[in-house]
Amino acid sequence: MYLLEQLINGICQGSIYALMAIGYAVIYGVVGLVTFTYGEIIMMGSFSAFYYFILFGDNLFFALIAGFITAAVVGIVVHKVCYQRFLDAPRYISLICTIGMSMFLKNFATIVFGSEMKGMPSFLSGKFIEIGTIRVGYLQLLIIGIVILLSLLLTLYLKKTRMGMKLRAVSQDKKAAALVGINVKTTTLIGNCIGCGLGGVAGILLGVYYNSVLPTMGGMAGLKAFSSMVLGGLGSIGGSAIGGVLIGVVENLGIALTSSGLRDVFAFLLLVLVLVIRPQGLFGKKGN
Amino acid sequence: MLKKVLVIVLCLSMLVGVFAACQDKTEDPGEEGGIIKIGVAAPITGNFAEYGKGFDVATKMAADKINAAGGINGKTLELVLMDSKGDAKEATDIARKFTEDPEIIGVVGDFSSTCCMATAPIYTEAKMVQLSPTASHPDYAGMSEYMFGVMGRQDAEGPFVAKYLAAKYLGAEKLAIIYLNNDWGVSAQSNIVKGAEEIDLEIVALENFVDGEKDFTATLTKIRQTNPDTLCLVMFYNEVSIISKQIAQMGWDDVQICALGPGTSEQIIELGGEDVEGLATSTPFYVTESDPVAWAFKTEFEEKAGFTLNVHSACAYDAVMMMAKAIENLGDNASREAIAAELSAMKDFVGITGPIVFTANGDVFRKYKIAQIEDGQWIQKTDYDYAD
Repeated sequence: MYLLEQLINGICQGSIYALMAIGYAVIYGVVGLVTFTYGEIIMMGSFSAFYYFILFGDNLFFALIAGFITAAVVGIVVHKVCYQRFLDAPRYISLICTIGMSMFLKNFATIVFGSEMKGMPSFLSGKFIEIGTIRVGYLQLLIIGIVILLSLLLTLYLKKTRMGMKLRAVSQDKKAAALVGINVKTTTLIGNCIGCGLGGVAGILLGVYYNSVLPTMGGMAGLKAFSSMVLGGLGSIGGSAIGGVLIGVVENLGIALTSSGLRDVFAFLLLVLVLVIRPQGLFGKKGN
Repeated sequence: MLKKVLVIVLCLSMLVGVFAACQDKTEDPGEEGGIIKIGVAAPITGNFAEYGKGFDVATKMAADKINAAGGINGKTLELVLMDSKGDAKEATDIARKFTEDPEIIGVVGDFSSTCCMATAPIYTEAKMVQLSPTASHPDYAGMSEYMFGVMGRQDAEGPFVAKYLAAKYLGAEKLAIIYLNNDWGVSAQSNIVKGAEEIDLEIVALENFVDGEKDFTATLTKIRQTNPDTLCLVMFYNEVSIISKQIAQMGWDDVQICALGPGTSEQIIELGGEDVEGLATSTPFYVTESDPVAWAFKTEFEEKAGFTLNVHSACAYDAVMMMAKAIENLGDNASREAIAAELSAMKDFVGITGPIVFTANGDVFRKYKIAQIEDGQWIQKTDYDYAD
């Protein structure tokens, strides 16, 4: 029974990882480039919510919107600097550019926001439903709900709208998309911003769930997002989400059986095992 | 052509940055022999920033007081502050810089046992005293005759927390411990466990985490299964507040929380809010109005620092005062080696935190008080005689 509670902890944490991975997959799919600034975009989303709470009070809904917009705006800057000119250039150039951007954003945040940990307000604290001996917090349910909702919205957007169709076209083949008259530059920009926005929301959920934000939180978050995406299959949005949830669950069950110090060991061991058995990830296509 | 020029300018500006970082801050030494320099290594940024700022303010207060009274044997005391970020690698770099500077005669710092123990070999080889205000690992001071610690040892504080804070004060019968997995945390936790075993206090859970961990839901869920009535947090202020908030988030309200490590840190109250009400901690030092000298110090410190005085800062003040006294006693014979011998021999030093007499090892045995958060303030709950 108790392991069931840990499973729910894992699903909640996993859904935050999943949201980050989905955002990352959108960027990778549409822009076609692996980015190292994603962690910092998550961090910027968190901080925007932190300042939102200070300026406007504890309204989570509006804070999420603020985070989405802030992260998307940062995404525009990243796109103009790191991606736009290099869409046809060798991949390593934009990669190095994103590494530099990541260092810049991290240090910028440390200077402007201060290097100390900042506390986030608590939501739905102490409220939970009890099923037998298991407790599930309202906040945990809310987080899972938000992630599911955003995933559904994204799927609808990609399948049912014109812009969504353009995004899918660009992710399949940029040159072909250009040939049929799609503005590749604008489309990659929009895809990038949506991905970054989702990352920003994930960052806020991280901050609220862990009650803390730090300028250096981007590093591990970005790594987990990237690992979730690789685990699920590069470019597969559904696969990335499942990869994220899987990593969250394995981490929490691992901690339940051993100790919190080994959290990252479990996450990355899982990644290595899956890649050894199935190098394209769980749902990826061979040769992608 | 313009592009080439731009590229060259950018490359040159990067090089300038590199050279600027290499430059040593050398100030005009003024009249020969007019200045005595003591190095201060503190975590001004990073996870222990509150303590680092406290070190900075307290050591400056000590230096100002000494210089206002005429300096040390007429010479001005100058502190050279460097930021170790609470990281052993940075601390080692700082140790090298300090030992290579011939004008620096001794060092006050660092904050964590890990940093102090990492830099001990460097200072020992340079025969320079490292007087740490707060390192409390029982093995630290014994590392050489140049290592000193003012805070007290974990093998005194650990048993106190188990026997008097948890068992006597909070009435604990089933204790769970979460500890930071570093030199200090492991030592502190093992001493609590030893103390608990001596009074048959049951330890139902013992969990650790690595520095930087933010999510404790899995660990807390695991511990809650064992049904402890008291939870002891062996860590510093950031993690204490996060865990307290996550416990409240889970709706786990029938557990008492105590802490070893953060002292009466103000940041716990700021970050934790109402979720840290009732948190109790052990502290070797707490100021009440009945001691006018200490109270005046506390008031001045709080004006300058902007946060409440805690034991770590008071120890930093005492560390500077003690080193200055040792240098003063030596007169013209003051040298790095002589300071070590003088500190070991000093029997009459009384600081803000009480009398400090070093054991043969170079550390101090302290007595402890208990403080608890009530209505958003730290209140002293017991005095030194609680453990008698």
